[in-house]
Order: sequence, then structure tokens, then C-alpha cells
Amino acid sequence: MCNVTEKQVYDELRTIIDPEVGFNLVEMGLIYNVAIDDDCNVKITMTLSTRACPLHQMITQWVEDAPKRIDGVNNVEVEVVWDPEWNISMAEDNVKQALGAL
Amino acid sequence: MFSISKDFAPPLKMIEPFFKFGSIIYLISTFALLFLNSNSNLNDLNIVGWAHLFLLGFVMIVIFGAMAQLVPVVLEVGHFSVDLYYIIFPALAIGSILMVVGFWFAPAVLPYGGLLVLVAMSVFLFETLMTLKKAESNTLTVKCVKAGNIFLTIAIVIGFFMALAIGAGVNVDLGRFLPIHIVLVLFGYVTITVIGLSMILLPMFGLAHGYDDSDVERAFKIVVGSIIVFSIATLFKLTYIADISLLGIGVGIIFYLKQVVTLYKIRARKLLDIWYKHIYVAFISLGLSLFFGILWLFFDFENGLKVAVWLIVMGFITFVINGHLLKIIPFLVWFERFSELVGKKKVPMLHEMLPDREIEYSFWLSMSGLTIGAVGLLIGSDDIFKGGVVLLAIGAIFMVQTVFYILNFKVED
Repeated sequence: MCNVTEKQVYDELRTIIDPEVGFNLVEMGLIYNVAIDDDCNVKITMTLSTRACPLHQMITQWVEDAPKRIDGVNNVEVEVVWDPEWNISMAEDNVKQALGAL
Repeated sequence: MFSISKDFAPPLKMIEPFFKFGSIIYLISTFALLFLNSNSNLNDLNIVGWAHLFLLGFVMIVIFGAMAQLVPVVLEVGHFSVDLYYIIFPALAIGSILMVVGFWFAPAVLPYGGLLVLVAMSVFLFETLMTLKKAESNTLTVKCVKAGNIFLTIAIVIGFFMALAIGAGVNVDLGRFLPIHIVLVLFGYVTITVIGLSMILLPMFGLAHGYDDSDVERAFKIVVGSIIVFSIATLFKLTYIADISLLGIGVGIIFYLKQVVTLYKIRARKLLDIWYKHIYVAFISLGLSLFFGILWLFFDFENGLKVAVWLIVMGFITFVINGHLLKIIPFLVWFERFSELVGKKKVPMLHEMLPDREIEYSFWLSMSGLTIGAVGLLIGSDDIFKGGVVLLAIGAIFMVQTVFYILNFKVED
């Protein structure tokens, strides 16, 4: 039985900030799903705001590293998907407001 | 999906000289405008020398430096050999200076400068084409890079023979080849490269998604076709067809502007930051230069041609480049100095690496200088033109200060 919670994983992911826009990946709406199995293996499904993101590889590495800081986490797998394509409606309201989209 | 990694990203020390040299030449070229007579003919050797100072020493060098970082991003493959950029910089920098000296003071130097520029550009083209061979995708940006590089190849070969004609007396019909050289460089390389890269950068920085890109596809085909027709028509002295193809380039640019407006309308990031301000001025300048270019073409209004050239060079090209330098240089510095620290300590955001006051001074002074300079050219007043140039030059001082500030940006422990 695994005691790691999704909230713990999301909290760690909130520490990863996109240096261009200044918001973390969770509030940007870039994390689509976090799944934790009984052996505490974590699978994160995410996207990026653009396919041409020059930090693609670094961001996915940061996402892979973040849950490993939680005690008990075993393996972490990160899958980057492009469907559905990210759009601003997926971001939290504070992001929309700061970007002038609200 | 390929993405840039530490393995493919060019080291900052390789790219830094391109931006430092480019920004200093930008400053020098704005001051050099004070010594030119705005009533001179565009074929005047002083004007031609200035054009090479600006286009080679600033525009090309900055584009080449930026390409070292952008090519892996837009083509989704690693460089063939990024180390070749260590050859490109000194050859292009020294070649540009020699060419300007050749045009202004000693024509005999011109072929040597031309040869160095030819070497620099050949190495750049070789590296880019070998990198393109690895690219699997054939997006519009890839097509633009391919077409732009083919046009540049032809332009530099023609340019080299013209340098031989001026400096060493080789028999070349300058009147026939000069317009082809100008169109191939300004539209064939610079404009097509900007079109291609902007289709990656505008949606990326503006957070624009889910748009129809048929307008820019159309723009690409029309501009490329018109450049080919213009070159052939000019070669065979078919003036009427050459004029129509110039109009074709204008029509292509209108479609491109339509695409830019679409991207602007659907952008999620609506805050008016310094990048957006530069982009506004750049595209408004491009639109206005089309207007004045058409006035020249249809009504033989020579001042219209000068304003059109001024707006496309000091408005569109300069503001597109300076605006993107404020994005690209902070990113490169951040990537080199701070990316490894993410998750370990607080790192700066990219906008925090900009000196707010200096970039605002630079923007407003440059924009005022651009506008006043255009008015001076339009009414044929050299005094008003020079007034605008002074503002532009002071703006350039702040721009250089900004570039060096970002490149030296560090955070105290």
C-alpha cells in the first residue's frame, strides 16, 4: 500500500516555475494527470504551452525529479502529450488575470 | 519530439560575441547616419557602405547568432556542427568592417572584405544546410529556412562579384545585379527568415493556439515566387515584369501581416510588455513601408521609396531584432547560469533580468527617432531627418547598455 498522495505530488510540481511566464506548471494547467499505483510508482501526464518550447527536455526532467523528493516514491514516469492541445482556459484564474486573459 | 538540451544548446561564450558586436555596430550605424545626406541617391557609395555596415555588422550577425540557438528549436534537430560558429563570427565581423572601409575610404579593400563575408556566409550556409538534411519535419519554418538560405547563397555570390567590380575593376553590370542583390538579401533572406521564425516565436511568446495558418502559407509562396520572377526579369531587363513582381512581394507581405493580426487577436498573453511594444512598431512600420513603396511604384514618388526603405530597415527589421534580443539573450543567459539551479534555490524569471528603465528609454527614443526620421525623408528635410537620427542614436546607447547588462547578469549568493 502506498501512502503518497496526489496532493503531495502536485505540491512538489508547484515548485517548478516556467521562467518565461513566471507561473508554476500546475497553475498554468500543464499537468493533465497524476497517477500513483500501489507500489508508489508515479505517472505524470503533461503538456507544454508550445511544441517549440526550448526548455522541453529540462522541464520534463524537473517534473521527473520533483516527486522523487517525497519519501516513499518509487519510479516516476513522465509522458508529454499534445492532445488535447494546451490553451489558456486550462490555466488557473490568477494566471489568466496576470496575463490579461480575464 | 525533439527538444533542446544542454548537448544541443550553443554555449553562451560562443554566441555572446555575435550580440555584443551586433549591438555595438547598431549603435555606430545610427551615429553614422548623421554623416549621410538624406537627399543622396540610394546608389550613393556612402549610403551603400552604411547599408553594409548595418545589414552585415548588425542584422546578419545578430540573425546568425540567434540561429545558433533557434535552429535546433525550430528544426527539431541538433546542429550539424555548432563549433563552426566560432569561424563564422570573426570572418563576418572582420569582413563587414573591411567592406565598409572599402565603400567609404578605400575601394581596393572591398574584395578582401567581400571574400571574408563570402567565407563566413558559406560556412553558415553549409552548417545550416547540413543541419536541414537531418530535419524530418517540413513545416513552414523549415521551408522558410531552406528558401532563405538558397536566396542568400545567390545574393552573396552576386555581392562578391559586385565587390570585385568596384574594388578590382572586374566587368560586372552593376545596374542589373544591384537590384537583384538588394531584393535577395532584404526580402529573400531577411524577410523570409523573419516570416519563418516568427511563426514559431509569435505564438510562443503570445501564447496563441489553434489558428489557421493558411495566410502565412500563401504569403510564403507569393513572396518566394515574386522574388524568383523579379530576379529573372531584372536579369533580362524586363522592367515591367520586375515591377509587377515587386508588387507581388507586397501582396505576399499583406497576407503575412493578415496572419500576424490573426495571431495577435487570439493570443492569451495580452499584457503589453516591452517585446510586444517592439513587435507593434515593427509590424506597423512594415505596413506603412508597403504603403509608401506602392506610392513610389505607381506615382514615381522618390521620397516614398526612401521612407519605405527607412521604415523597413529601421522600423521593421530593427524593432523585430531588438525586441527578440530582449527575449533571446535573457533566455541564453538564464539557460547557462540558472537552469541547473531550478529546484535547488530561487532563480530569476526572464523578465527580471531586464533593466526596465533602460529598455523603456531605448524603446521610446528609438520609436520617436524612427517617426521623426520618416517625416524628414517624406518632406525632404535633412535637418528633421537628422533630428530623428539623434534620438535613434541615443536610443541605441540604451539598447547596447541593455544587451551588456543582460549578458553580465548574475545573482549574488
